[in-house]
Amino acid sequence: MAQFRAKKLDIGCFVNIRNIRDHTKRKVFAEHEPERQALRYLIRNTALPQRVRAQAQLQLSQMHCYTRFTQIKNRCIMGGKGRGIFSDFRLGRYQFRINALSGNLPGVRKASW
Amino acid sequence: MSIPRSRVLDLMKVQCRIFNTTFNPTQQRLGTKILNQRLRGPAVASYYPPRVGTIQDLRKLYPQYDVPDDEEDEWLEHMQIAKSRGKGPPKKKRTAAESKKFNKRK
Repeated sequence: MAQFRAKKLDIGCFVNIRNIRDHTKRKVFAEHEPERQALRYLIRNTALPQRVRAQAQLQLSQMHCYTRFTQIKNRCIMGGKGRGIFSDFRLGRYQFRINALSGNLPGVRKASW
Repeated sequence: MSIPRSRVLDLMKVQCRIFNTTFNPTQQRLGTKILNQRLRGPAVASYYPPRVGTIQDLRKLYPQYDVPDDEEDEWLEHMQIAKSRGKGPPKKKRTAAESKKFNKRK
């Protein structure tokens, strides 16, 4: 959603709208995580009155979808791809191969035996 | 030789105090699991590298120096030429009445 997006470009990797959107979602998630965890605590705590827990459930379900972790997807920071990402390197499989073969990734070498 | 329940509870209480956990002998669901989870927001939000080293950053860091920006100069020159030919951008509308898109007569 555009209301969460930074007014100025604030990522320094490969830029396309999907990467920007994912970055926005990550920031929104980080901002609202304590609130979500507090609500989840209220919901799970059986010692609290049922009314409070129901209200917390309602409030949690009415939060914006961008505050949810499941909205976040790892994307390639050099090509913007959304599938086949090595999360350790944050790269798609082809970008990983290209960069590894050219020696840009420290400690990565082609297997040979 | 069996140990009385109250003695075990006392031990549990002390254990909870020392290790800073919740004393919950009746095993109620108190949601402490969620309070113990660490926040992963900062790690998640720093996935994409930040944009650094732009000319605007340099200008902000060193206001006493004049940092040239070729792209900006080119753009300004282009805008000047366009304006002199009457092809510049339209004036910014300040009021709602001005900005009405369809208030023209047809």
